[in-house]
Amino acid sequence: MRVDVQALGACNRLAEQGAEQAAGALAELTGTDLAVEVTGASVASGEDLAEAFSGRESIGVSVGLRGGLEGEAVLAFDAAHADALLSLLPGGGAMERSAVTEVGNIALGGFLDGWANYLGTGIDMTPPRYFEADGAAVLPDGALAGDGVFLFESRLDATTTDLDFSIYMLPDSGPFRDLIVGKTAPTAAGAGAGRSDRGGMEPSDTGSTAVPYESLSTFASLAKRGSANAADNISMMTGLDTSVDVSRLRFVPLADVPAEVGTEPHAGTVFELQGEPSGYLAILFEEESAAAIAASMLPTEPDEPLGGMAENALCELGNVMTSGFIDGWANVLGTSISHSPPEFVHDIGASTISPLVATLGERQDYGFVIDAAIQTEGVQARCDVYALPDERELAAALARLSEQ
Amino acid sequence: MSHPPSSRGRKSLDDDGGSTGRSRIKVGVGELAVATDGETLTTSGLGSCVAVALLDDRTGVRGLLHAMLPTEDNARTAAARPGKYVDAGVETLVDELRSVGASPNRLEARVAGGAEMLDLTDAVGPRNVEHAERSLDAAGVPIVASDIGDGVGRTVRFRADGGLVVRAADGFERTL
Repeated sequence: MRVDVQALGACNRLAEQGAEQAAGALAELTGTDLAVEVTGASVASGEDLAEAFSGRESIGVSVGLRGGLEGEAVLAFDAAHADALLSLLPGGGAMERSAVTEVGNIALGGFLDGWANYLGTGIDMTPPRYFEADGAAVLPDGALAGDGVFLFESRLDATTTDLDFSIYMLPDSGPFRDLIVGKTAPTAAGAGAGRSDRGGMEPSDTGSTAVPYESLSTFASLAKRGSANAADNISMMTGLDTSVDVSRLRFVPLADVPAEVGTEPHAGTVFELQGEPSGYLAILFEEESAAAIAASMLPTEPDEPLGGMAENALCELGNVMTSGFIDGWANVLGTSISHSPPEFVHDIGASTISPLVATLGERQDYGFVIDAAIQTEGVQARCDVYALPDERELAAALARLSEQ
Repeated sequence: MSHPPSSRGRKSLDDDGGSTGRSRIKVGVGELAVATDGETLTTSGLGSCVAVALLDDRTGVRGLLHAMLPTEDNARTAAARPGKYVDAGVETLVDELRSVGASPNRLEARVAGGAEMLDLTDAVGPRNVEHAERSLDAAGVPIVASDIGDGVGRTVRFRADGGLVVRAADGFERTL
């Protein structure tokens, strides 16, 4: 099965509309003002899901789908985020079940209405079923066995807290599969979704953006390996135990990436990637983390926490991390990728990444973002890695990968 | 295309003191919004992007654009957001302000952002500023104040009184 990257842009829009409906519903229930900050789509294989969900508790709502879409859609809050949700509700925990069911039902309804319009057919939902689940039991039936799931994640920005939720759908669900494969996208997009822009390229370019689903899934695993390599390189360089907290390949509107990085001051390094794919890679630490990791690499306490000495240390660290990151890609894709010397950045997080997004934005509206959170033991330091490959070049490399 | 002020932005109690009870509209990257009821318009994390704030002093109607790229002339994608490009964004914002009662002849502009954050990228900040100046000139809107360029990120707040508060990463604030 091939996935049309361009159609993923349309999927993302629908997910975003669903998230906006959910935000509206929540705002009404809680009396709090909420807005959707980020909506991203990602591909997760059965194996990744099993690992990612181990030890996690979720609450949420599932509905069965009939008609235009067959199967099951699940909306889940991580238990930790569910607390944030409940804290917003006037009745607190007492309202848990009914409030979550209500919110889930409205959000899934909004999400599926968008799909129904897009597909030009009705989708029937069974009544919502509230659940509390351990581990991967939250996922739709069959998620761990087959190709995995498509995952739509949204972050809502409330005044006092951020609230994340996820919608999971199986990729082999009839028309949904047709849609992501790109069969229905060109004709249905404009009229159905009420928009002429599909966030992608002109129809004539469709072929160049279709990638085999299996390759996408491979690349998601590959991204994870890149993060692990980067973490290993930090361990070797600093002697600190370093691990990867989260690593995912997501498909997001590029314009949402700065909001995701946030407005806190960050320090780190930015690289340009050359080869196939080209693109950018940014390694960003919050200031305190940056100072802590830099200090751990320096023989003496620096005069300034983020002065020249720390800058040199972070550049050196960025170099070894980036090499670790892209070596893995190049090996698997069978391409050659090199990186520029590091450029040190220290500013508002969103501002540091905005020129990268703008430059890529000249060619594409959506992008694959590989984000990884890397954590060192002993020193309180955590960084986020944003890899932003050129969409077409990545699609081409993935297509070649599947032909081998 | 219609872009209601709160279409993506969140509305919350004004953080300029809260006593006004007026709400705040957050404008994301590539977005624009219009305020007709004294709301504070905010946008954060400006790097190479440029913010264009327009005010009709007589009606108090204001608009804010957070644009990412200079011009849609070289665009290879259909813009997913109305404010992605400076030129198209300025044009849309002026139209939207007109539709809620502002007179284009009375509009005045304040511009912020367009920093050169990185050597790696191709001077997108200065090009954004240049296109903002050109687009505003073409629309007959004078720029009354600006805080542009350098290598610094900015966050802006467009207050009901027409002042544009620009805050840099180090916390330094100036009002345009």
